Amino acid sequence: MSILTDLRIAAAGDLHLGEDARGSYRERLKGIEERADVLMLAGDLTRHGTLEEGRVVADELRDLPVPAVTVLGNHDYHSDLQHEIAAVLRDAGVIVLDDDGVVIQCGDSKLGVVGGKGFGGGFAGKCASEFGEREIKDFVGHTRQIADAWRVALKEMQVDRRVVLSHYSPVKETLEGEPLEIYPFLGSYLLAEAVDTAGAELILHGHAHKGSEKGLTPGGIRVRNVALPVLGRAYAVYCLNGG
Amino acid sequence: MEAPQYVAARVQQALAEDTRTHELGIHVDVRGDQMFLRGKVSGAEQRERLGAVAHEAAPGLRMHNEIKIVDYGEPGEDEHLD
Repeated sequence: MSILTDLRIAAAGDLHLGEDARGSYRERLKGIEERADVLMLAGDLTRHGTLEEGRVVADELRDLPVPAVTVLGNHDYHSDLQHEIAAVLRDAGVIVLDDDGVVIQCGDSKLGVVGGKGFGGGFAGKCASEFGEREIKDFVGHTRQIADAWRVALKEMQVDRRVVLSHYSPVKETLEGEPLEIYPFLGSYLLAEAVDTAGAELILHGHAHKGSEKGLTPGGIRVRNVALPVLGRAYAVYCLNGG
Repeated sequence: MEAPQYVAARVQQALAEDTRTHELGIHVDVRGDQMFLRGKVSGAEQRERLGAVAHEAAPGLRMHNEIKIVDYGEPGEDEHLD
């Protein structure tokens, strides 16, 4: 039986870096290798999803002293250049998840990170379902496909610990502070259900700027909303304790 | 006269959809001939742009730009998840 060492995850989301923000976030990442083993970013890296903004983000994250993993958010999709932005980030050495997973060797342990943008639909008992107009079926079906992909990716991973990275929220606890009326556009319980089924130690998300940092899935997995306006700091550090 | 709720919705939509701003989290209130913008952004330029777009969307209103600028500074305290 292997003994796990502590794993320190630096996390932030919703950086919304415009072209005027060049250099601003990099400055805040100075010394990150002293504080964390890996950096995870929960999407909305850009403001409008332009390629120029994507290049700004890539330069901010290029050649960091710790591995950087990210997903994209709805803002990064706005200009229909999400694939190009992902390519620019990958060229800068950033791991970009798109409903798949990656294994990172952190000290003696293998960390599996699964995730993607996620999507909305609402939360159990108060959510949209795949019924009626094609547009509604497509909306809910999109989230369901994403949740299924995460479930499969988590189950297939041969790793010591698993973390899920999303833009949209899997639970409503971390939306507290947002207007109730927009919850269905902020996340979906299908994401939490998939992760509860397959297992993980932590789920990180962004998107809900007025939400709250801490929540739990129905299965007891810790959820953290790491959107910068929620954190109020450059990034959070979560330590998964060794066994 | 257009109901203030519709004016506020139009301004909020402009802030979200205008290419200069694309900001979704700004609260807009209209009271009489006054408009109030509230929320948090990371820089003074974005606050100014939001004010300009809101003014264009409702030029007849006296605007109060109460958007707060947040500096995300240092990383802060670690959390241990046992």
